[in-house]
Amino acid sequence: MKKRRALALLTATAMMMSMCVTGCGGSNASSGGATSKSEGEEKTSDSSAGDAVTIKWLSQGPGEDAWEGLTKPILEAFEEETGIHVEAEFYSFSDLFEVIETKSASGNADFDVMSVDVTYVSKYGSSGYLEPLDSYFTDEEKAKWDDASYQAGVWDDIMYAAPENTSTQELYYNKTLLDKAGITLPESDADHRLTYEEVAKLAKQAQDALDPDGSKGIIGFDFQQVSRVYQMNMLANSLGGSNISEDGYSIDGVVNTDPWKEAMTWYQGLVNDGVASKGYDADTLQEQFYAGNMVFMIGGTWTSSGMKCEDEIGCTYVPCFEGHEDQVATSTGSWYFGVNSQSKSKDAAAQFVKYLTLGKGNDMWLDINGDVPSRLEKQQEISNDANATPDMKIAAHEAANTAVPRAVTPAFGEYSTILDQAWEDVRNGADVGETLDNAVEQFDSAVASYKK
Amino acid sequence: MRLPPFERKERKNIMGEIYIKNKWLPYLLILPTFLLICIFKLYPIFNSVVQGVLSSDGTFTLDNYQLLFADKTFWSSLWITLKFNLIIIPCQIILSFVMALIVNVKVKGIEGFRTVFYLPFCISLTVATVIWQMMLSVNNGVANSILGIFGIAPVGFLIDKKWALLSIVLIASWRGCAYWMMFFLAGLKGIDTSVYESAKIDGAGFFTSLFKITVPLLKNTWLFVFVANTTANFLMFAPIQIATEGGPQGSTNVLMYEAYKAAFKYSNRPRQACIVTILLVIIMLICLIQNKTLSEKEA
Repeated sequence: MKKRRALALLTATAMMMSMCVTGCGGSNASSGGATSKSEGEEKTSDSSAGDAVTIKWLSQGPGEDAWEGLTKPILEAFEEETGIHVEAEFYSFSDLFEVIETKSASGNADFDVMSVDVTYVSKYGSSGYLEPLDSYFTDEEKAKWDDASYQAGVWDDIMYAAPENTSTQELYYNKTLLDKAGITLPESDADHRLTYEEVAKLAKQAQDALDPDGSKGIIGFDFQQVSRVYQMNMLANSLGGSNISEDGYSIDGVVNTDPWKEAMTWYQGLVNDGVASKGYDADTLQEQFYAGNMVFMIGGTWTSSGMKCEDEIGCTYVPCFEGHEDQVATSTGSWYFGVNSQSKSKDAAAQFVKYLTLGKGNDMWLDINGDVPSRLEKQQEISNDANATPDMKIAAHEAANTAVPRAVTPAFGEYSTILDQAWEDVRNGADVGETLDNAVEQFDSAVASYKK
Repeated sequence: MRLPPFERKERKNIMGEIYIKNKWLPYLLILPTFLLICIFKLYPIFNSVVQGVLSSDGTFTLDNYQLLFADKTFWSSLWITLKFNLIIIPCQIILSFVMALIVNVKVKGIEGFRTVFYLPFCISLTVATVIWQMMLSVNNGVANSILGIFGIAPVGFLIDKKWALLSIVLIASWRGCAYWMMFFLAGLKGIDTSVYESAKIDGAGFFTSLFKITVPLLKNTWLFVFVANTTANFLMFAPIQIATEGGPQGSTNVLMYEAYKAAFKYSNRPRQACIVTILLVIIMLICLIQNKTLSEKEA
């Protein structure tokens, strides 16, 4: 009897202990994506000159081939130059948003700098997570970025984040497929672009020649980020449409307008004619181009490196709509850096942000990663460099001249979810006017909680 | 097995002795499980209910519900949830009952069939959805290739609002029926075969036996399957998130997906808490009705 009792007690104790251990394990797991130092580590505060200063940076991109490895020399150079040591924590793309949300919502001061995806600037700014940067950047310094890049870091006339680099779009085409179809692309440049209508016509011709019965599944012309506002809104912007109202809280009178209706109707026609695709999402559609199954694709500057087949590809400036030659629009935006509003080392943090976005750190980053610069000076450098690749030259031109910032709103999550779905619905045959009216209604309901 | 009276008395004495001497032992033994249930089941439910009635400054408010009830998307999502369940629950229960009847027959090698019928449940729902998504693809899916043989134009099973909800029902049922079948099979195995033999002697045919013996004797199984199936299907999420993301044109936007969007895409926790609480109330109400209708009346 005593034995059974002891055994029972032992079992109960063991179960309770295992539960405690599991509980402790849970808190460890929550920092799963991080690869660097523990949170409990002591941080030296920003103090008088001569004291060693350490700041903490939360970012995305764990791994030696990603930001973690690529930024190591930049952090070392920054420490050498300023004496400020940067402790970096790298999380996966989606984990970073959760970490920032969790830490910032509870007023956590254990980090100083955060990497901010451009679409979250207004949300973090309006929520008080980001420190205003206007006192750290002079007007002269702000003018060093192209306007679209700078504006995307501003919410309610306050600068909350600075751009690391930007992104832009080009028209990529499969030269091998065009050659096989016997099609020669007309000459084009920044002032004499192909039109969307011309590209659609050429794509149809190529399909008729290469895949007359449609059995090979050759796609004529499509968008790398299909059904995502990031890229699809370019069409409406190219017809003079805006992305969101001035205050960032409404799309009524913005998307249910002629430019949007015209853009969506044109795209729906492209799908109905079999030139553009159905059924592929953004992740799988670009693979069709990389595999040599698509003739034309609007894509980002990373497209060339994604090619998996032997086909030769070419690129040119993004098309415009006939009669709207002066309204060319390209989507843009990338990563930004901001200072935690609760940081105890705001000066050092702002110094680091400046180093990464305007200083030597930015030069190093552009060399290492080959992204499209946000800095006008660097964009000019590429345009004047005879050895720069054609796609980088086009990218620099588009970033400086045709880039349209994404919708700036604290409700970007709602905005992109609703309008991504609207683009997808129209692609699948939904009535354009009805879809846009529904989108307006849904967005109005979604932002109601922000207006409480 | 019933123990002889003296043994029963002795057993009772032993149990009573243990209880008196170790009054706290039973409580101690159930404590870990009780705590786990409190932490991982009851607390999140309680927290969700509370979150739904709190404003951003922590005071009591019904504004979150007011906003939700004023939102057309919520009502449309509620209607789609009900429609989805009105289709899937009877489909799954009838199909799994029929499957159980099939694999309950006594023929050589029936164990093999039972395994095959149960196999879909051994595949994760996520994996199953991805496979079905490929098979139902409008571009080069197996389903459309087969239809093509008969000259039928490709059908957008997951991108056409006429088909999307039915496709989700198909995906969820392909896997779900296998699971519910096992409960019916266990119930069928529990019915004494002599009852069927007597009925046969009295001249009862297959359908008479089915409706007069099998169905009534499985009342408890029906009750469990109805309640558990209703709960599982009201909370269905993975196939929708993977295959349709609530589309096309909101035709698969069930409440669970709407709650997910509120929590993870809109960062609107109060909205998510309200939706989850409403789901909880709906499920509880339906289960209560099912329980009342199907449970055995006390003599």
